[in-house]
Formats: sequence, structure tokens, C-alpha cells
Amino acid sequence: MEVIYRPKTLNELDKIIRENKTDLTYLAGATDLMVQEERWKAASNLLDLSSIKEIYQTLEITESHVLIGSALPLSQIISNLTIQKKLPVLVEACRQIGSIQIQNRATLGGNIANASPAGDSLPVLSVLDAEIWIGPRNNGEFEKLKIDQVMLNPGETSLKDNRYIAFISIPFPREENQFWYFRKVGQRKALAISKVSLAVLGWIKNGTIEEIRISTGSVSPQVKRATETEAILNKHILNENLVEKARQSIIEEVAPITDIRSTDEYRRRICGELLREALYLRMAQ
Amino acid sequence: MKIKFSINGKEVELEVSPKKRLLDILREDLELIGTKEGCGKGECGACTVLMNGKRVNSCLIPALQLPGSHIVTIEGLQNWDSFNSIEKAYIEHGAVQCGFCMSGFVMSSAALLAESLPPISLEKIKWELAGNLCRCTGYEKIVEAVHDLSQRRELIQQIRNDWQNAFGVR
Repeated sequence: MEVIYRPKTLNELDKIIRENKTDLTYLAGATDLMVQEERWKAASNLLDLSSIKEIYQTLEITESHVLIGSALPLSQIISNLTIQKKLPVLVEACRQIGSIQIQNRATLGGNIANASPAGDSLPVLSVLDAEIWIGPRNNGEFEKLKIDQVMLNPGETSLKDNRYIAFISIPFPREENQFWYFRKVGQRKALAISKVSLAVLGWIKNGTIEEIRISTGSVSPQVKRATETEAILNKHILNENLVEKARQSIIEEVAPITDIRSTDEYRRRICGELLREALYLRMAQ
Repeated sequence: MKIKFSINGKEVELEVSPKKRLLDILREDLELIGTKEGCGKGECGACTVLMNGKRVNSCLIPALQLPGSHIVTIEGLQNWDSFNSIEKAYIEHGAVQCGFCMSGFVMSSAALLAESLPPISLEKIKWELAGNLCRCTGYEKIVEAVHDLSQRRELIQQIRNDWQNAFGVR
């Protein structure tokens, strides 16, 4: 028999976790969980995070940050005008996750907790330097981790002992001189699981790259910034020579997996081509 | 578990397993068989219904999340004032062949027309309907039918009114 929990508040949720020693299966949009037949069948203690208003509805915007409830459907992020203006790279990544039907249910919290290397929001959360707020709270405080500290390996997170994702806090990147890029390469345009994706966030002034952040999706088992390639680009004048150096660097730097969707070699090459496209698009402006 | 929710404007109370899919509740418990099962994995859109004013795949909604929700299926949409126009446009454009995907397409089309500000481009219609698969028509005629509908201002208003009647103010 299944036991179902639908707490109304974070306080209730934390209390359930403190008093409960059995393994809970969290769900919000359930779009990843219900298609993993064995996991779904085996789950006997289900806790519905979408019943908690604080994390199902929160989209709190301040001058410098946005705080997003982990169970907020992606379509709410996509349609928010401030987010469209301040975090276009996040909106673009969310728009490319599944279909509208999926976006109406799927959540950032789920994308992180499911820990698939093909999670399309993950490279974007990485370049945006997002902070993941983890419960239950200790003395009223959430634990705050970066994306690479939460997602450890495919399907494996640091969320042990019924820990849960409550919020995702994203600082608004400086708009002046900013450029961004997100592209996902899959079997077809809509609804395909990525073979490779690339997120870039950078700042360029008078032709010189002030700072650049690059992260790949679906490539390595972890979410990692391409720091060596970033170092080649940082503080340098953006021209064709530099782009070629960066392209070769990222091909060397990434450590792709080979799986049913693609091979190591293909993923390396496409990473290079995507980075070249990202930088050429900026040069053409 | 005992669940209470609204289906096509009527309150229902059922005793079901908490993991039972909305799709199966519709077809088995409520005998609303207009909603079809295609892939059962959230990719084909044949099972699309409206839930609290949003289109969703009913194969990915567990019963435990249904309490208090408002669901509209193709059987409910048939009672909307705007339904005949949508149906007619699909027929006139030859957008229906075997028909299996149709209830999903019509649900998505109604949602798209209610949510979007005109003018709605062909590109946008293709993007918005990407969550529905059709193996007969090649999509062109479906996109044309919806594009035709999207250009009729009175109809759009009617769809929005129907939407509000079903879900309240959006």
C-alpha cells in the first residue's frame, strides 16, 4: 500500500521528514518520474511537493535576484516578462524542454533532482551561477549549494536522507555588454532529448571579452564549466584566431560519454561547432 | 484513496489507487473515451486534456494530484460555443484522417487560441503544436486549419469566454 503525503507548508514538510525514517519519493510535475516505470512502480511513500504553495507558486523578483520555487511549472518561468528580460538564456532553455504540455507540469527542481546529464536547464543554471536551496531547514536555514554540488553523476545527487530542493535563487547577470547563447542539438527540433547542448554567458567591451562562462549539457556525466576554454577567451580580443583556439580547446577539454543518443567523437566536434557559432554570432553584431 | 475533483464542470468523487493515471481514470472510471492513449510517455499528446486552465498530458498525471482540480476533456469541449467552429475548420481543411490524434490536437488548438495574442504566425502554431503527433496528415493541413481559426477575432473572443467559464479568470 502506498502512503501519500500532501503537506500544505514547508513547516509541515520539514516535520514529516524529521518524524519519518522511511525513504520518501518526491514528485512535482511527475513528467520524469512517471515514465521511469520501475522507479514509479516501486515508489511507496510519495510526497507531492506541488501541494506546498511556497514552492509551487513562488517567483519572487528583487532588484538583484529571482527566487524560483522548485515546484513552479516551467511555463510560469517562460511567460514571466521580467525573467524574459533579465534571464533570456534561462527562458530559452526552458522553452526547449519537452512540449508545452510538459512545460505546464515540469519544474526546475525536477530537472535538477532527476540528475540526467541531458537536463536542458542544467548548463544554464551553471553559467548563471544559480544557488540551490536545500531542505529540511536547519535552525531555519536552507543549505545552499551550486548545481555541480547537487548533481554528482547521472541519476545521482547529493540529496540523501530525504533532503529536498526548495528554491533556486538566480542572481541577475549584469546587462551591460552582455551576450548569451543557448543551443540544443537533438534528433529533431521539438521534444527530442539532447545529444549536446551549450550555454554561454559573456560580457564583451570594445571587442575584448571581459568575462565568459561556458557550460555543456548531455556531454559529460557531470555539469561542469569549461574553465580551460574560458581562460583562453577571458581578457582577449574576440577575433577569428581566438575563436579557432577556443574551438580546439573545448574539443580537448570536454570529456563526453558515449551512449544510445550519440558518441564521444560527435559530441566533442559539435561542442566545438556550437562554441564557434556562439562567438561568431556575437562578432557579427 | 478518495479523490474529489471537477470533470467538465461536474464534481466527481472516486475511490482510486493514488498512482492511477488521469488517462485511465477518464477512460475506465468515467467512461470518457474521447481521450486517447498513444505513447503513454508524454511525447505524443494524444491524451492531452486541460487541467486548471493548462494543457497537460493526462498519462502523466497521477490521481493523487487531482483533488480540487478542474479537468476539461474533449467531451467537455464539445459543449463550448466555440467547438463547432474549431471542428468545422479541421474538416474543411482536410486536417483529419484516421482521427486518433484529433482530440489531443483539438485540445491543444483551443489552448493555443485562448492563450496567444493575434496575429499568430505559422511558425508559432507549429511550435505550440509540437507536443502532438499525427502520423497521417503530415501536419500542413492541421497548421492551416488552426491558422485560419486564429484569424477570426470573434471566434477567439468566444474561445476566451468559454475558457473563462470553464476555469474562471486566468
